[in-house]
Amino acid sequence: MDSIDREILNIIQSDFPISPEPYAEVGARVGISGEDALKKVRVLLADGIIRKVGPFFDAAKMGHKSTLCSVQVPDEKVQLVADIISGYPEITHNYLREGRPNLWFTVIAPTEERIAEILSEISEKGGVAPIYNLPAKRMFKVKVDLKIMGS
Amino acid sequence: MEFDTKNIALIKALQKDVYLEAEPFQKIADSLGLPLSEVIEKVKELKGLCVIRRFGAALTPAKAGFKTNAMIVWDVENGDEIRVGEIMASHPRVSHCYIRPSFEGFPYTLYTMTHSNSDEELQDIIKKLSEKSGLTRYRILRTVKELKKTSPVYFG
Repeated sequence: MDSIDREILNIIQSDFPISPEPYAEVGARVGISGEDALKKVRVLLADGIIRKVGPFFDAAKMGHKSTLCSVQVPDEKVQLVADIISGYPEITHNYLREGRPNLWFTVIAPTEERIAEILSEISEKGGVAPIYNLPAKRMFKVKVDLKIMGS
Repeated sequence: MEFDTKNIALIKALQKDVYLEAEPFQKIADSLGLPLSEVIEKVKELKGLCVIRRFGAALTPAKAGFKTNAMIVWDVENGDEIRVGEIMASHPRVSHCYIRPSFEGFPYTLYTMTHSNSDEELQDIIKKLSEKSGLTRYRILRTVKELKKTSPVYFG
């Protein structure tokens, strides 16, 4: 990553131009052509530094319910239960973490009933219980906009 | 916002993989049979309404130089959640900050996600958060393994 890459990342994380030729604008801001800016972003994506470029919708404003869940799974069953959990398109994040409970995952679905249904299916198929359903009571921040500093 | 047929078609089209091209919004406009100006106007409107909370690139923190990513959960006195939540959220390396219910054997209710370049920096962030909030009971839930990380698909 060079200094122009870092500048581009800082711009397009939160301020991707909503315009006919977004990369021409990004390029102009960092002093390169739009073509070169697009090439650089493609490399950053291919290298896995960028995971995705596009819109991030607010689940609640889209009329969806979201929650974080956790469950304690014995070591020998982690892979089995993790595969069951990750199989649901409604489950977007799934992490094995230190401590108890050890498995943490997020569910986004159109209704609370659908979330309850998914959790009871996981419990039944994976033979794990209880699954703690921990919807946010209050949200202070959700901003995965990481200022990239020079190395 | 009303999720009528037209808006749903737009939201579906906006979730397509078109943003690594020179004219992404033209491509969306073509797929919907709408003029480019209408698509751009509509996307700006969705951003203005915060239906789109952010438009742009999401990074893989570990590859963007943030090697130590941890969920830290804090034990907060009843009634003090809003004060400490706002303090935690104001730290630039805290990306997510929520109050959630406690459960059996787990008194922690304030959840923060932090991103740092090293373990020393993580400890430094925790020290600052603890000093500023006055909270001393917490647990660091380090990631052992990322099993899945995707974006939700709406109206899929």
